[in-house]
Amino acid sequence: MSESTHHDHDHDHPHAEISQSERPGFYDVMETAVRELLIGKKLFGADEIRHQIELLDSRTPALGAKVVARAWVDPAFKSRLLANGRAACEELGISFYDDTQLIVLENTEKVHNLIVCTLCSCYPRPVLGLPPDWYKLKPYRARAVSEPRAVLAEFGTHIPDDVEVRVSDSTAMVRFLVLPMRPNGTDGYDEKQLAALVTRDAMIGVIPANAPTGRTAR
Amino acid sequence: MTQTENLVKRLPNDIGGLPADPIQRIEHELEPWEKRCHALADVLDYHKIINTEEKRCGVEALGAEMVGKLGYYERWIVAFANILFRKGILTPTELALKTKEIEARWAEAHPDRHDDT
Repeated sequence: MSESTHHDHDHDHPHAEISQSERPGFYDVMETAVRELLIGKKLFGADEIRHQIELLDSRTPALGAKVVARAWVDPAFKSRLLANGRAACEELGISFYDDTQLIVLENTEKVHNLIVCTLCSCYPRPVLGLPPDWYKLKPYRARAVSEPRAVLAEFGTHIPDDVEVRVSDSTAMVRFLVLPMRPNGTDGYDEKQLAALVTRDAMIGVIPANAPTGRTAR
Repeated sequence: MTQTENLVKRLPNDIGGLPADPIQRIEHELEPWEKRCHALADVLDYHKIINTEEKRCGVEALGAEMVGKLGYYERWIVAFANILFRKGILTPTELALKTKEIEARWAEAHPDRHDDT
């Protein structure tokens, strides 16, 4: 038996890791150690970490899709969205849990927008959730700003030469979201049906919104 | 341009515009510890203990080799530890002792798993 029979429970640390059957790795242990030390010093509570995990889990591209669909059907909302992305999202009940501002970039027949974070991984997390790995890796970060058309082509997106490609580089304080063009053939669609056509990658700007499949969405 | 000039002009995170490989559309579900690490980062930011820009600089301060070889959240947690040491919020000794405690706790909960230390 180990000698550590006394186990101080004056702080409320989560014991989830104890149930894990694989020996935790070096960095896993480091995370636990840093977190428990800071909780022990009362810099924040264990409940705050749990709450933040729940918050992170609640953010998915479905939120961004809802914003896009609303902008497609409501021109006044679209103007407000383009004027102040954060305020318009908050109007739809999407809270911003950080200090970031949101700039929404509208794709048109003349301009195609693409977002990137060359320095790291800044991303409109309140409306899209966490970014995919490829967004955080060198090839995308390095090349999106210098050869965006080649990068887009690797996603299967071919932008005609007469359409301008604009790349926006995110910062810690300013995040971007692409408002894709509404697909043709969606005239009778309601917001829910439209939102189903809007993917995460379309809101990053690497692909267009999906075309309707011909089936009526339920 | 000489090799060293390049080192001065480009810190490890500053890769925008450099030549690089084709995009591979890699994605993975976060490991539980990675998600905890992300939540920790957010909470550190809320409490103004470490903000996003300090985190980014902290990662850059790991140097090119670690930036290149460690995983995304591995870089974050190591950067957090370093920043907390520098700010005098934690000491390396505290971290070392806590690490031992956590490893002992795990071993205690898995008495049949004393194989690979």
